[in-house]
Parts: sequence; C-alpha cells; structure tokens
Amino acid sequence: MAKSKTPPAGGRKPNHKMLSRTLFVLIVCGIVAFFALGIQLFNVMILKHDEYESGAIAQQVRRKEVTAMRGTIYDRNGKILAQSATRETVILSPADIRKNDEDAAEICRELVEVLGDKYGVTYEDLMKKAQKTDSYYEIVTRRIDPEEADALRAYKEEHECTGIWLAPDSKRYYPYGSLASHVIGFVGLDNNGLAGVESEYDNALSGSTGRIVRAADGQGTGILLVRYEDYSAAAAGQDVTLTLDATIQYYMEKQLKQAVEDYDVQNGAAAIAMDPNTGAILGMASLGNFDLNDYQAVDDKTLAAIEETESEEERQKLLSDAQQRMWRNKALSDTYEPGSTFKIITLSMALEEGVVSMDDTFPCGGSTMVRGRNEPLKCWKTTGHGSQTLTQAVQHSCNVAFVNIGQRVGAEKFYEYAENFGFLNITGDKDATLTARTGIDLAGESGSIWWSENTFYNPENLSQLASASFGQTFTITPLQLITAVSACVNGGYLMEPYVVREVTDPSGKILAAHEPTAVRQVISEETSAEVRTILEQVVGDPVDGTGKNAYVAGYRIGGKTGTSEKVAQDAAGGPKEYIVSFVGVAPADNPKIVILVLLDTPSNETGIYISGGQMGAPTVGKMLADILPYMGIDPAYSDAEKTYMDKTVPNVTGLTRSQALDALQELGFNARIIGDGEKITSQLPGGATVVANGTTVLLYCDAEPSEEPEIMPDLTGYTYSAARDELAAMGIFITTPSSITNPNAQSILSQSVAAEEEIDHGTVVTVTLVTSDDTMLGRY
Amino acid sequence: MDSNIIQIKPHLKDRNSVRVLQRGAPDFPLLALTLMLLAFGVVMVLSASFPSAYYDETSNYDPTFYFKRQMIFAVVGVAAMFFMSRISLGTVRRFTLPIFIAAILLLIAVLATPPVNGARRWISIGFNFQPSEIAKLALILMYAGMITNTGKRMESFRYGIVPFALVLMLIVGLLVLEPHISCSIIIFAVAIVLLYVGGVRMRYLIGGGAIATIGIVIAAHTMSYVKNRVDVWRDPFGPQIGDPLYDAAYQIKQSLWAVGSGGFTGLGLGQGRQKYLYLPEEHNDYIFAIVCEELGFVGAMAVLILFALLIIRAFTISMRAPDRYSSLVGVGISTLLAVQVILNVAVVTNFIPCTGISLPFFSYGGTALMMQLAEMGILLSISRSIPARRGT
Repeated sequence: MAKSKTPPAGGRKPNHKMLSRTLFVLIVCGIVAFFALGIQLFNVMILKHDEYESGAIAQQVRRKEVTAMRGTIYDRNGKILAQSATRETVILSPADIRKNDEDAAEICRELVEVLGDKYGVTYEDLMKKAQKTDSYYEIVTRRIDPEEADALRAYKEEHECTGIWLAPDSKRYYPYGSLASHVIGFVGLDNNGLAGVESEYDNALSGSTGRIVRAADGQGTGILLVRYEDYSAAAAGQDVTLTLDATIQYYMEKQLKQAVEDYDVQNGAAAIAMDPNTGAILGMASLGNFDLNDYQAVDDKTLAAIEETESEEERQKLLSDAQQRMWRNKALSDTYEPGSTFKIITLSMALEEGVVSMDDTFPCGGSTMVRGRNEPLKCWKTTGHGSQTLTQAVQHSCNVAFVNIGQRVGAEKFYEYAENFGFLNITGDKDATLTARTGIDLAGESGSIWWSENTFYNPENLSQLASASFGQTFTITPLQLITAVSACVNGGYLMEPYVVREVTDPSGKILAAHEPTAVRQVISEETSAEVRTILEQVVGDPVDGTGKNAYVAGYRIGGKTGTSEKVAQDAAGGPKEYIVSFVGVAPADNPKIVILVLLDTPSNETGIYISGGQMGAPTVGKMLADILPYMGIDPAYSDAEKTYMDKTVPNVTGLTRSQALDALQELGFNARIIGDGEKITSQLPGGATVVANGTTVLLYCDAEPSEEPEIMPDLTGYTYSAARDELAAMGIFITTPSSITNPNAQSILSQSVAAEEEIDHGTVVTVTLVTSDDTMLGRY
Repeated sequence: MDSNIIQIKPHLKDRNSVRVLQRGAPDFPLLALTLMLLAFGVVMVLSASFPSAYYDETSNYDPTFYFKRQMIFAVVGVAAMFFMSRISLGTVRRFTLPIFIAAILLLIAVLATPPVNGARRWISIGFNFQPSEIAKLALILMYAGMITNTGKRMESFRYGIVPFALVLMLIVGLLVLEPHISCSIIIFAVAIVLLYVGGVRMRYLIGGGAIATIGIVIAAHTMSYVKNRVDVWRDPFGPQIGDPLYDAAYQIKQSLWAVGSGGFTGLGLGQGRQKYLYLPEEHNDYIFAIVCEELGFVGAMAVLILFALLIIRAFTISMRAPDRYSSLVGVGISTLLAVQVILNVAVVTNFIPCTGISLPFFSYGGTALMMQLAEMGILLSISRSIPARRGT
C-alpha cells in the first residue's frame, strides 16, 4: 500500500496535552456517562417496572370498558329462560369537559332534558358529578332505551361534545317471568349473578370485560380504533343449557300454586322433578316465587304490611327480610323432617340387607315399646293395622312395622346406608352431629343434621333409631330425599343431581358438559325392582294404598306419602303444624321421572284432612297427569279404568226411541225419555259431550227442556256417582279430570260452578275428586 | 486511484509543506455504526409516529407520513455524508468564515418568522429548516479554526477566553432570542469541551464552572421556569390535575410509564401503547421512551452500546487526526453527538430535569438528521487522512 500522507488542514499535530484532554473527554462522554445511563435504565425499566407498568395500564384502560354480552340460559329444549339485550349506559366525563373547555351546565341541562323524567336524573346530582374534574367516568344512568341513546348521540355530534359518553352495556330479560325463578336466579346492577344459576355460573355467563384504549389527548375525537388483544379483548359470555324443562316446570308450578290455594298453605311449598336415571333436575319450584324481571318486588300483601310500619329503618329491614324469604329456594335451602317418605329408604336398606323379605309379616297393635323410651311408640293408626305383609306395611305406612324393620337393620348399618344414600358423612368424630350435601351445581344448598354416632348407636336407647326408621328426629333437604329415592328406584345408583347440562360458547361449541355421574351403587338392581313393586302398590291399590290419590288412570305410578309434625313449633307450644309431602315415581316399572312435593303448613281451616295422602298425593298425581303425556309416555288403560272413565255422549237426535236407547246402553249410559213422540227431537247433554260414565241422558221426544235455571247444589262430600245422579235428575251433568279408580268411593273436592249459583239445564260441571274414606285419615 | 490524489495548495503557515497527499479509505467501524443506528432510528420513527400521524390532520391522517419524510431525509443525509467524506478538512477550513456568517444570518432571519408554540426556530422551505443545527457545526468549525490560530496563546485570558466568549455569546444570544434554551446548553457544552481540549488553563475553566454552577443554583431558586422543571424532575407524579405543574409533569410521567412498561424484553416492536396519543413528542424528543417500551431493557441497552461505540470511535478518530484543526473539528463533532445522546436519554429516563433535546439518528427531524449525517461525513473525511501504520 502506498504510504499515506497527512493533509495540512491546519496546525501541527495535536500535542500531548490536547490528546490527554481529549482522552479524558472520551472517557467521560463515551464510558462514564453511558455507565450511569445504563444504571438509570435498569432502575426505571427493571426495578420500577411493575410500578410504572401499572401506572401506564391504569391510564391506557381508563375509560372504555365494554361489558361482554352475558350468555343466554336455555332450558333442555332450547327455550330461552334468560337473555341479554344491548343497552347503553350514559357516562359523564368531567375531565374531558375541563380539557376541552365545554359548558358543564349546558351538558347537564341537556342530559336532564333527555333523561330526566324517565330515569330520575336531576340537574343538582349531575352538577355535583360534573365538579369532579379529574374524573373521566361518572355514571349518569344505566341501560337507557335506544330512543334516548339516539337523542344523546345526535346531541354529541351536533355540539362536538366530548363530555358525554355512551358505553355499550346489556340488560337482562327473563321471558318467562317468574317461571323457575329460584333456579335461574337474577343479576344485580353490574350484571353480576346474585342467585341461582346466574350466580353459580356467573364466570361462564359473564364472559370477560373488554377494554378499549381511548385517546387521552386534546383532540377529543374519540376512541382509538386499535384494540389491545393481549389484555383487553372482550369475550362474549358463554351460554348455559339447563336440564330443566320449561313445560314440566310450568305444570309443576301450576299444580303447586293450586295446592297452595286449595290447602291454604301457610309457609311456602316446594317441588322437585328429577330424572332418576341421570340425576338431572327436570323441574324445581319453590313458592312463593317472584318475577325475575322485577326481582326486588314483594307481593302486595307483604308490601302493605311493611308500609304500615312507622320507622323507615324498620321498613327497610322488613322489606329485606321479606325479599330474603322470597328468594330462598325451599327445595334445597330448607331442611325438614321427611317423615314417612323416608320409609322408602328404610325399606330399601332392609331388603338389601336381607333382614326382611316379601313374605314376612309385621304385626301392629297400634303401638310398640322401644328400649330407652318410657312410653310406647304409637302408630299413626292407634287401633293398629293387625297382621300385615311387607307390602301392606308400606301401603299402610305403618310406623310400628317400620320400627321393627329399622331394628332388624341395626343402628350402624342404618347409618352406613344413610351415608351411602348421601344423607350424612361419617367423619370419625363419634360425638359430632353429622351432615352432608348433594353437591348440586346451585348456590344455597343446606346440609342435613343427624344425631352423632354415639347417640344413635347407644344400645341402651334405641329410640333414635326407631324414630329415624320412619323419617323423624333428623332433618334433610328435599333435594337429598329425591336424590336418594331416585337411587332406590333406578336400579340402586345414587346419582349426583345437577341443573346445568352444558356450557357452550356463542358459536355453539360445547365447552363443558355434565355427564350423568353415579356416586355409587347403594342397593342392587333386584332390591330396587322390589322397592318399585311395593311403591306401585302404595298408589295403585284402591283399598289399602295410602297414596291412591296420586293415581293417574292409564299409568303405573309408585309413591310414598309423608306427614311430619314441625317439632320446633310443637315445642313452642303453638298449634300443631305439619309439613305434608309426597314422592311419586312414574312409570313404576321403568321410572322416567320422580317428583317430590312438599307443602309447608297447610291451614287447619280448609276442612281437608292434613296429610301427605290427602294433599301431597293428589298434587303429584295432577302433575304427573300433565307431565307424563307431555313426556311422550302413552297411557294404557285397564278394563276397569275404561269402564270408569268419563265417556262421550253419542248424538242420538233424529233416531227412534229404541235406536237411541240401544246406542246409549252400548256405551254404558242410562236414558230417560221425556215426551210422547216417536223420534228423539233433542237431547241433554248434546252429542260429543264428555260426561261421567253411567250418566242418565235426557231424551226429548216432541218436548223441550225447561228454560228455568236450576240452583247449583254443594257437592262437597258426595261421591262421584252420587253427585252424577243428583245432578242428572236436575238436567245438569258432571265430568272430572281426576283419575277415577272407584266412583263410589272417590268424593268431590272442588266444583267448577259454585254452590248456590244459577245454572242452566244441560251445563257440564267439572269437579275434582279425592279418595277420602275413613281408613285414609291419618298422619302418615 | 486518481481521484484519491488531491493537489492541495499550501497554507500560509505551512509554506514548506507542499505535498501530494494520498487519502485512505473511510473508517469502516464509524460508517457501519452510523448506518446501523440510522436504520434502527428510521424504523423506530415508523413505529412511534404512526398513531399520531393517523390521527393528525397535519399529517393528512397518513400513518406513514413521518416515516416517508424521514426516509427522504435519511437518503439525502447519507448522500451528504458521503459527499463530506470526500471533502478534505483543508477545504472545510476555508469555508469556516462563510459558514459562520451564514449561520448567524440564518439565526437572525429565523427571528422574523411567525412563532410556533411560542418559539421561532424554523424557516419553512418545503420542510421546516432549523438554523440552530447549522449554528452547532458553525461554532465547532469556528472554534477549531480559532484555537488552531491562537496556538500557545490559548493559555492567556485575553486570547484564550475573550474572543471565544464573544463568538459564543453571539450565537447563544441569538438562540435565547428564539428562544431555544436546550440548543444553547448543547452549544455551551461543546464550546467548553473545545476550549478545554484546545488548551485553556484549568483555572479559567474551573472558575467558569463555579460561576456557572452558582448561576444555575440561583436560577433554580429564582426563575420560576427553571424551578418548575426541577420540581417536576424531583416528583413527576406529584402534581395533580389543577396544579400548574401538572402539564409539565405530564410529559415526564408518560415517558417514565412508557420506559418502565418495557421491562426486560419489551412489548415487541410496534406493540407499544404509550404512543397512542399519551406520550407527547413520541417520535421526536421522546422516541427513546418508545424504544424502551417496545424493545425492553435489552433493546434499549443495545442502542446505548451502539451509541457509546460510535462516540468512542469518533473520539479515537479525532485523536488520531494528523493536525490540530482536524482533531478539534473531530472532538467538537464527537462531543456534540455525545452530549445530545446523553442528555436525551437522561431526560427520557428523568435522570436530569426535562429539556427538549432530540436523539441523533432517531428523532424525527430533517435538518438535524441531515446535519448529523454530514457531521459523520466530516469525521469520515478526517479518518481518511489518518496515516496508515508504516510497513503495511
């Protein structure tokens, strides 16, 4: 390489002093300063990272929160039970008003003008909010209707106003109002679930709130288009499909309401329908229920009582108490002594253990002595049931027989089965009272209460075991009972009860599905079949069955009654109060549904004997009469049933007398001919009318029925056939939706035309029937 | 090659040194570091500026508005750099006085323009031309020439201080009229370093430093403008809305949130959030905050190390320059670069009180970028005149 030479730009070569001073500058500027900057960077970026990052995020996500659309709740057939609709929430941003020098008073006036009357927005409140000039987010009013939202939008645009914001929000609607209110639950102001499935599945339903960064700068033109996917994507809520069937739920609530009315039930009622093979809840009702769309409103009677109270504080407390009572899901939050329905469980364990057989006989003299008790333990029928087979003991709901059965099982085995049926958990602490829950996916489930092991196992005192054998001295939830009864009839498997079948994303993809879960097999298939056979006899036997009021013609139904005295009430010295209940199983040979109805404290005033057989059984029977055909289970009538069933009157007008008589007799009708003509000129009831079998049809030959109205008699206490004949003599007819097992034994419970009212000839009166012979009157 | 052989006329003082000079190749590390930082900087301008460009009317709502313009400045600047690398320092020296006079005239002319945000700093000629950038180079060239001429007399107060002070006061006085305090500070710093390297006695410098320190302390306690900045520097999160310091604190607060958000590896290139109209001046003075936020501690340190290497290399070239004039010009340019980088990063990380200083090669701005590249060209030119080691 050629030798390089220096250009003589100026001066000599830099001297030593220059070079050393330059080197000093180099070290300061190139090394020391950068070292210091590196330390400062480390300090700010690493050591203070969290602090500064949260500061940055706080402002970046400051103003635009987008509530995700809450998921829909469906019933098992896809009917919508709860749904959200988009509404907008109005937000005042005093900080923007300050920054952009807008007129707060003018904006507040506009807001009051648009929203004032409808949403109770006042100028004074708004101006108070407008004073907070460092706030970007003051809620004016939530979820306004589209027309007001449009008006505000127009104002915003026209005046380029940045002080008002409309944030997307959603409002919850419940298309069925009060239907299944306790199961579905409701949401609060912030769309957060407060009760029922809305609360239990709040995380899934609510989705995740999205955040959009909005420009904080002076232009105030609005929202940045960029969404930060990493921490602010809004995810729509997931949909929840229940096991509930809205139609079944409707039938249950209808009959439960009717029962509460008919029996003047004082303290609420509950009903649960379960698919025994899966544990899926098909319906769950608790009365009184409430309108989910206005979940804070109590009924008028309660409200009137509250408003009579003087002090505001007292009123608030009364209202709050009333709401809490109203929102309480009796079916799983209240515990009770089940009484005789529990005999199904005692029966199952005794059969499974082989300590009883179908051929055993159980004497009952009306009472029995139990070790540890000073007084004899009385059967509900104090005159005694005499000698009974096992089936009869259950049919009779004989307490003496069940004390005997319970003692054959033994206290420790009894608790072992109680644990297996999910009623209690044995903990190892033998002095502790025992409890258990089913673990259903609903909030508010209470736990059972049982005697400690030491108390229950005491060989010197068998009274706890004796009472427990027929369902007393412990408390359980209705849900626990129906779950255990389902296990007794489904082949022996204790299923985990559940109300949510699946959770799906908005596109319908299944995110979580509840598969039926058997906790364990408690009894064998064979034992279960025997239990079903016996339970069918409780309902199906028109003579001995204490559950015969649950009978539905054409269906095989099993069941068990229950009547329990409310011990606490008794101890307080008040009048005796009862919880009556009935658990029904259908079809009895291959159960598809189990229904438990529980009526808390029917009134003494109705004149109807308070018992599960008289009140619970007919309620369940009516529910099944609606539900079984809906479920696609066709009735198969026996010959006797066909005979007893109400019949359709043929049209015989125009026929000769003998032709008409033949036609009527063939169908089992009687006839009375009025007039002298050869041919039938008119008839009562008219052709195609459905009336009671054996009705005497009035045939007019050249004669006319009287125009004079009759006075409706009071049919209470009449048997169905007596009422039929009584009315037919007056030219009035009768029909019933109740199942007719014996028209000479079933009596009238209610009538569609009130007594003493005027009634025209030929009118068909609808009545309901109850089997109410003297042998049936008892607390079983 | 012929083009590398330049006939230089002898300078008056070097009457005997008529030589045919052969110039070497430009310094590769300096060139490579410059181009790396430039490329890095242009990419960061795109990332930092697109949100504000998208939202702003002056940028026609075109998200690539600033990026495209910066690209053009970069291309012109690189051309200027290569051009300057081919101009020998002797030629540069001959233009010193014209350049200085032109700079002064421009600084006067700019005072006649309408103020933007209360300051007259730009002359609009298709783009906003900033005379103060010319003034920085003019001062370096002027001082280098004067020091070379003064020689040993630099140690005296009369020759080593007075003329330099007059030149400095002329430029700084015009800058204060704009006003452009931050540029005054930079020019002042470069002037002090040149005088120090040029041989001024330490006692004058120490005395001057003492006077300056006292002045700064007095200013910090009396001038509300300075006092406010110091208060904000000490506690940027203190002032709340309504406080007169709030708006001043806002910028440094936003910067710290951006830098702090970066953490170790950052949010990813283009993924920053603070540039969405939170951080003001995000593609100018505070672009380094976006670098920190998006590329994290790792990326920010990489940038700092590249700058440190470039500065060390620039000083090294200056030290190896064949003559005093070249050396002093090199030291001036190196110092100018270093002071701007150090002060910018220190401001962005709230290491020192806030003042508006841009980051070389990164901050958006045509005049500054082109001048910086031209200055790198001058350093390359110096590097070409360094004698190669003998025997190779």
